[in-house]
Amino acid sequence: MSSTPIAVEARHLVKSYGMVRAVQDVSFQVPRGEIFGFLGANGAGKTTTLRMLCGLIRPTAGTALIDGFDVFKQPMEAKARLGYLDEDPFIHPHLTGREFLDYIADLYRMPRGTERQQRMDRLLRLFELAGRDGELIGAYSHGMKQKIGLASLLIREPSVLLLDEPTNGLDPRSARLVKDLLEELAARGTTVLLSTHILEVAQALCRRIAIMDGGRLVATGTMDELRAQAGSAQGTLEDLFLRLTAGPESSELISSLLAPGR
Amino acid sequence: MNRSTVEIILRAEWRAWRNRIAKANPLRIVGLAVFALFTGIVFGGVLFALAAAAGHLLPTARDAMLAGAFTALSVLMLVVGFPSVIGTYFAGRDLMQLVLAPVTSLEIFLARSLFAMSANLLVAVVFLIFVVGVGVGSGSSLLYYPLALALVFVQVLLVTSLQAVFMAAVLRWVPARIAREVAVAVASIAGGGLYLAWNLTLRQSIGAFSPHRQPDLTNLVSLLQRIEFVPSAWPGHALNAVIRGDAWGALAWTGLTFGLAVVLVGVAALLYERTLLAGLGLLGGVPSRWMARPQKAPRVAGSGAGSPGFAIARKDWIAYRRDIRRLSRVLPAMIFLLAYAVLLVRPGRGVDLFWNDVFVVSFVSLFMSMMFATTAIPSERRGYQLLRLAPVTPWQLIRAKVVFTIVPVLALSTVISLGLSLFGGNSAWKTLQLVLLAAWLGIGCVCIGVSAGAIDPNFESTDDRRSVGIVGTFAAMGGELAFGLLSVGSLGLLYLAAGLASGNGVAGLPATPALAGLGVLLAIVLAAGSAAVVGLMMWIANSHLRGFEDSIVSN
Repeated sequence: MSSTPIAVEARHLVKSYGMVRAVQDVSFQVPRGEIFGFLGANGAGKTTTLRMLCGLIRPTAGTALIDGFDVFKQPMEAKARLGYLDEDPFIHPHLTGREFLDYIADLYRMPRGTERQQRMDRLLRLFELAGRDGELIGAYSHGMKQKIGLASLLIREPSVLLLDEPTNGLDPRSARLVKDLLEELAARGTTVLLSTHILEVAQALCRRIAIMDGGRLVATGTMDELRAQAGSAQGTLEDLFLRLTAGPESSELISSLLAPGR
Repeated sequence: MNRSTVEIILRAEWRAWRNRIAKANPLRIVGLAVFALFTGIVFGGVLFALAAAAGHLLPTARDAMLAGAFTALSVLMLVVGFPSVIGTYFAGRDLMQLVLAPVTSLEIFLARSLFAMSANLLVAVVFLIFVVGVGVGSGSSLLYYPLALALVFVQVLLVTSLQAVFMAAVLRWVPARIAREVAVAVASIAGGGLYLAWNLTLRQSIGAFSPHRQPDLTNLVSLLQRIEFVPSAWPGHALNAVIRGDAWGALAWTGLTFGLAVVLVGVAALLYERTLLAGLGLLGGVPSRWMARPQKAPRVAGSGAGSPGFAIARKDWIAYRRDIRRLSRVLPAMIFLLAYAVLLVRPGRGVDLFWNDVFVVSFVSLFMSMMFATTAIPSERRGYQLLRLAPVTPWQLIRAKVVFTIVPVLALSTVISLGLSLFGGNSAWKTLQLVLLAAWLGIGCVCIGVSAGAIDPNFESTDDRRSVGIVGTFAAMGGELAFGLLSVGSLGLLYLAAGLASGNGVAGLPATPALAGLGVLLAIVLAAGSAAVVGLMMWIANSHLRGFEDSIVSN
């Protein structure tokens, strides 16, 4: 890991809202070409951390670096290398799919011309949007919006992808396509930071995984390292996650809910 | 009908409203309350005093005043309260829950009625003050006041039901996706038309507000006579009958009003049952009709790197003309603006036509800028986050928005200034001055408007009317007013200097070269001041956008 350049780095990131600390002293590094999993319960601080890393939210303390560029001190350099997909993507409903891709390409100063059009066509075909690219995005289904959001990232080939629940709302076929695509991109040197609740996806795709709980990073590492930190030699990622985030036993809650007389 | 279901829905609505208030910034709530109280006391007091004086001094005009007030109330409610009626009865995600639940359409209709009437009730409070004032001035019996309250409420119910009937009819003929916009546009155009007609009648009756001309009230009286039997005037007749002590007259007009209300509420409930599902879940969506036409082959863009500024402006242009909701609000406003500028503004006695044209051009620039420029940045909505993510600086965004907005503003203000000047018989030199002034004001007001929108944006709002906060709205109005006054003042000083330089004393000032030079110098200072206002607003906007992340956090 030491020989590979670092693509994403969080240095002691803190985010406070008044008295509430949403993110507390989060630090990690992701080397170039790695798929890094980012897990946590609802409200654990994953999205806030991702938004600090991509420059949408200014941290109360700490630094976020993309390819060595400080996201807040050198925003233009960092943003040009970065692609962020929100769990609810920001897409203009009154543009067609093709117009939206064109808009994004222009925003990122991609050279115009046939090559760009061909890339757009390939992406639209890849995400099975080729026949629907003339329709307004507002009329798209949630899954289609997710796909056009992904296409808008890939059209400009960013070196770092921060993805918040990218398979959310996708049919199994498209979800598989996204997984294959991420593996291929990583193999070609793209760094992927993947936040997901689907633990099977994280386990299958990610070389290393970070688990957040209550705004803190409670564990980071490969599956074996996580097992060691959780003190469980055989557990699946789901077991490790539940152990490390230490919530109440769901079986007990279910039993009490369904108990006769309740 | 299960009465408890209506209660349950009302209780939930009440809780939601209470929670919204509780969640709001307490300072903002207190500020708004103080503002409302202050304006209420001042405005309400003045209105009450005027109404009481009129009721006392003009006994023969009481019937016309009351009938006119109730008719004006109805027209105003038809326009102002319509979005609330649509939103409450036909749109809104919570309706989906109610439809899925074992609740009848009639129960939904009844439960939503109070909230549907909310905007109309607010408008009605103002008119109630006027009606009570007339009663006090006339020395009416005590019966007048509860009856006035009841009649105003029934009028609100009546108009709200009429709006529901109208919306149901629109949903019958117009696709649900654009029904809301069509209905709002029709209501706005109708309301605006009635307002303009009323203004024209007033102007024909009273002239150009000249104190030297004898008012000719023939048109006004004839108009009031014509609306005497319009249902909206019936409550006015009922109250006038109470003042006169005519019990049978009061009973008859009140009965007619209540009867009409019962019929309209019944029809509205019946139609609501049939149209609720037709409109539900579709209203508020994005119309996709455009894309039903055969698709054109994708355009291969030219060479060179993409330009973020151009991309933003192009995206705005494409999205704006497809956004029926925005167009439906812009078109009536534009019609109103043109009619106002061309039909209603007339030079006062002794005022040069050129300065009247200057006023119109300034008004057009301010109006257009408030309409297009102030919302330019907030209208990015959640798409603003895309711009935050992209390597685009706030300054580039402000510039792109100015460039996009300046085109329609300059086009319209130039056309209006040319039209006014040519039809008014201004010389070519004055026409050129007017066009240049229109360009100067247009550019300045757009820059200020765009900046004000960036100072206090609400990216979460899906409605342009709520996309700029109070601070932004006041900043736009204040900034544009200051800019306009300084600019027109500068022009005035140049005229003064020219007069002095040509040897003619102006306003008692001696025609000396030194004074003329001072006039030019002051004109330059004022022009520089106006440019400084623009620069300051843009600087504040740029600084504010750089650190803005409110809407992102709340997501």
